Amino acid sequence: MDALEAVGLSKTYARRGASVRALDRVDLAIPKNALFAFLGRNGAGKTTFIKIAATLLLPTEGTVTLFGHDVVADPASVRPLMALVPQEGKLFFHLTPREHVYEYLRVRGASKESATSRTDAILEAMGLLPHQNVIALRLSGGLQQRTLVAMVLATEAPFLFLDEPTLGMDPFARRQVWEVIRRAARRGSTVLLTTHYLDEAEQLSDELAVVEGGRILYRGTGEALKATVGREVRLQFSGGVRPEELAPFGKVFADRDRVVLLTARASVRELTELALSRGGEVTVGPVTLEEAFLDLVGRGIGEDES
Amino acid sequence: MSFRTQAQAALRICYFNGIMPLWRSPLLIAAVFLTPFSFLFFLYVIAPRSLFPFGVVGGILFTALFTGNGMLNDCAYLRLERQLQQVFVASPVSPLAYLLGMALSELAFALPATVLFASILVLVRPVGPLALAALLGVVLVTWLLATTLGFFISTLFAQLREIWPIGTLVFSLLSVLPPVFYPATEIPARWQWVALLAPSTYSAQLADRAVGLGGGISTGVAFVDSPFFAVGMLVAVTLLFGGAALFLARWREP
Repeated sequence: MDALEAVGLSKTYARRGASVRALDRVDLAIPKNALFAFLGRNGAGKTTFIKIAATLLLPTEGTVTLFGHDVVADPASVRPLMALVPQEGKLFFHLTPREHVYEYLRVRGASKESATSRTDAILEAMGLLPHQNVIALRLSGGLQQRTLVAMVLATEAPFLFLDEPTLGMDPFARRQVWEVIRRAARRGSTVLLTTHYLDEAEQLSDELAVVEGGRILYRGTGEALKATVGREVRLQFSGGVRPEELAPFGKVFADRDRVVLLTARASVRELTELALSRGGEVTVGPVTLEEAFLDLVGRGIGEDES
Repeated sequence: MSFRTQAQAALRICYFNGIMPLWRSPLLIAAVFLTPFSFLFFLYVIAPRSLFPFGVVGGILFTALFTGNGMLNDCAYLRLERQLQQVFVASPVSPLAYLLGMALSELAFALPATVLFASILVLVRPVGPLALAALLGVVLVTWLLATTLGFFISTLFAQLREIWPIGTLVFSLLSVLPPVFYPATEIPARWQWVALLAPSTYSAQLADRAVGLGGGISTGVAFVDSPFFAVGMLVAVTLLFGGAALFLARWREP
């Protein structure tokens, strides 16, 4: 049995007289103990999926089961099995990180001893010990977000929904949180996270799904997604060449400041010399998830739904 | 989670959402006390001294009724602005435990002001322990009525800006216009039926009667003017609002 199974899941919102299809017949199964990432632009449908699966929102059509329990028909059975970091969640401003974690565990029914030891462990793992007794009002946005994630990861719930868990964190803190999330998965929790940080999805997840327009366009590993591009090398030009000159050599993505070409290894020398001879700059590297996403979706992950 | 652990969850929510903020920001006590005290002061200055005890009982009931406004605003704020209600929905905490925990938090906020008004009452009027117990009962039912109504309303809206004026409107209508701070006899007889539309009128009728104040509703219909009718209506409205909070409130968005 999979940890989560969605069949034909759809959600339509009525907004100002019009209907907006946020999820469109999504089928998805996430195995137990998996670390699964939803990757997509703002408004792609990631949060809607999480809200339905976490019993916060009713679907228009379709079903979701969590460990075999229907989340619509039987929410009371699934809620003890889950914990959620909501998107852009904020803390109780008058509580400290230690109090947030400890009190949340106690509310969920943990014993005093268990809550204390788990609070100590998560605060240390998340680098929150130096700030553990500072009220949330005086914490930076990044530390507040880390506290929220700590609260939820400390539950050790069998299923963890993490909606943009590292939003607003610095790169060091993000890596620290990734490690704790990995540890949660190793311990036996199934993790479903949403992100629009491509590196996060690639580094953290066993498998990812690219969501766009309420549909899953791709499901597989990050490596396999990059392989779908069908090119070996990524060349990034700043000046020196025009996008139309590069078109015969492979896939070209251009914006105001740069031109990116995904091409075969054999073309690298020729194109590099051409750009340099014209005073341009070239960076050579492997194809990244950014281009794979752009190739698949047709728009960059930073572009909002319009 | 068992019934016991749900009850513990409610008490913990009250602890960290009600008692701890009061402990850390005692000024909140003054904020709760100030509005009803201002009404009382106003009454003291302009009204005959005989009406002052009504004002004191009114202060107690106003504080209990405004727990509903606090509940409405706090629940909406936690759900819409801080997204924290979602953290409790996606957990073993039942809607009832969350509702009760939030309502107890509001009671904690109201408690210091209630004790202050009760102290003033004891100073201005001899009140026995039985009368105080009856008054406490009315206050608790009024708190339950107000907080369940507040919770129910809080779940109906998607924007904080829509909610704030509604809370002030609803709870001002319940606590200022009906005969809460003044005896019902001050209302012209033919308009006293209108006062019966507000559940707070029944709270005030029972509270005033408990401490031996007169001035009850006199519509001329003996059944309606009796305290049993007031008890029945108060319990019925509380059950109605409680049912709405438990079964109609949107714990999960449609």
